[in-house]
Amino acid sequence: MADAVFLGLAIITIGSAIAALEVRSLIYGSIALMGTLGGIAGFFLLLDSPFVAMFQIAVYIGSIAVLILFTVMLVRRELIFIKIEDKRRRYAGIGLMLALMLGLGAIILSSGIKTITTDEPPVDFRKIGEDFLTYYWPALVLMGFILASSVIGALTLARREDLTNDQHNA
Amino acid sequence: MSTIAPKFRFSYFLKSLTDNAFWAVILLTLTGIPFVMTLLFYLELPVIDDKLMTPYLALTTIADPARQIPLIKSLLHTDFFRIAAFPGFGFAALLAAGTIFVERKMLAKLQLRVGPFYCGKIEGLLQLMSDGIKLLSKEIIIPAKADKPIFWAAPVLFVATAAAFVSLIPAARGGWVVADADVGLLAVFAIIGFFPVITVLSAWSANSKFPFIGGIRALHQMVSFEIPLILSVLGVVILTGTLNLTQIVESQYHYWWILFMPIGAIVFFIAMLAELERIPFDLPEAESEIVAGWLTEFSGMMYGLVQLGSYLKLYAFAALFTILFLGGWSGPNVWPPFPEEIIQKGIVMGPITAHFPGLPLLDQQMLNDVLWFTLKVAGVIFFILLPRGVFPRIRIDLLLHIGWYKLIGMAFVNIFIALALVYAGVLGPGGIL
Repeated sequence: MADAVFLGLAIITIGSAIAALEVRSLIYGSIALMGTLGGIAGFFLLLDSPFVAMFQIAVYIGSIAVLILFTVMLVRRELIFIKIEDKRRRYAGIGLMLALMLGLGAIILSSGIKTITTDEPPVDFRKIGEDFLTYYWPALVLMGFILASSVIGALTLARREDLTNDQHNA
Repeated sequence: MSTIAPKFRFSYFLKSLTDNAFWAVILLTLTGIPFVMTLLFYLELPVIDDKLMTPYLALTTIADPARQIPLIKSLLHTDFFRIAAFPGFGFAALLAAGTIFVERKMLAKLQLRVGPFYCGKIEGLLQLMSDGIKLLSKEIIIPAKADKPIFWAAPVLFVATAAAFVSLIPAARGGWVVADADVGLLAVFAIIGFFPVITVLSAWSANSKFPFIGGIRALHQMVSFEIPLILSVLGVVILTGTLNLTQIVESQYHYWWILFMPIGAIVFFIAMLAELERIPFDLPEAESEIVAGWLTEFSGMMYGLVQLGSYLKLYAFAALFTILFLGGWSGPNVWPPFPEEIIQKGIVMGPITAHFPGLPLLDQQMLNDVLWFTLKVAGVIFFILLPRGVFPRIRIDLLLHIGWYKLIGMAFVNIFIALALVYAGVLGPGGIL
């Protein structure tokens, strides 16, 4: 059962990744990108970590893919789509990708990943939170500062000084 | 004088009846029975009262209503019933249908109109049904230069996403929920994230000005109000320490969270109105400016599906508000207990006494829970509908200003209140209350 699901997810993820690169229409390309990101969320679900899977969907499909889609819709196609049909480049790219994948696969397979036993129960997200508050607290504080400063920065950038509207000040 | 069938002969009528019966019997024996017999090899038959429920046994229960009760009881606990009927699609669609009717009638009364009146004789009760039949029978028109695959898929995807949202809502204690996810609240936010995508895709695919403007507005609105929506709920998560919606309700058996976090509840409610595109935040469908916004090019049942989806979404959001802030199904026991003499003696009808062993189909607790849950959800829906009769539509820059500045700030205030309650030892694990 899990193998069939894994195979289906792998086909969806890789197929839509290829489609995202190759499809002529930019909108369909970004939909295919959503398929890829959703497939990765499915892998997280298979790996017994629904917490990460839900964040994958909420952040990558709900925000980043929407941002890409929105940008693509507002941009005129001719401006960014200069046709470069170079067969040699394409084959070189595919060859490079295959070589990279084979190399990475060889490294991962020889790293002893096969000997890991996977009878452990899935990691509870409360445990992740506990670890963040106890052992990894400097990382948590750092992340909090970075996020807070980026939120404040975004709000400052979005603030329009030239707009004088009485209703805003009221 | 006009007659319905001018060449009517009673003998022809009888002949046609017997002919039909003859062919029905022939077809049933030649194809129906072999089909059922083949199917039975692959079906997993349920075991009820230590007996395998074969089709023969199931047919015999038709003669005796008392023997149907275990059958119905086992049906009530199947996944199919949960998905299709009670906490799932059927219940939500019923409440959504009621919402549409109440909205039209109440809005009319608020504006000193009559509202739906003729259909169904009594105060236009059947207006919804006639609207549904009208939408079903209307032609589906697709704009010539529309992107057809996305345009067709968008309404279906919209309803599917709304139904997925509904499936996460628990309606009573004891596992009356379709998907009892451990990360239920996160799953809700993951699903809500799909709505702007579908909206903007359908708006783009119609290849028309008004839908596109409406879609862009919807995207702005939904994306910017998702942030206060999520932040306002964090207070509840901090106090309960769980993301499971059932456990969040169970933590409110004594105190509702709206008592401690009214600011969070208000922020959630306003952000919810914006996510639902309700007045005063109905800019994506502003009918006086951009026809019908992103719904302009939809016709016939495609429009009907989008409407169904948006009212399912309304129910789900109202139920989520109830679960997070109003204590879900918790409430005093008001449901009367099942009469004892029917369980012990049976129903006496003159000389006959009918025995129904195992009768209370649903226990009193569950019915009580459902009553309170439905009442609270109906109340929240009422408050969602009410602004429509009162407020005008607000401008888009004011809308974004409210979302990005006021609501996010208030949501942070709410989080600090929740943190203060936890650190002061009032609530949360090991608290006073």
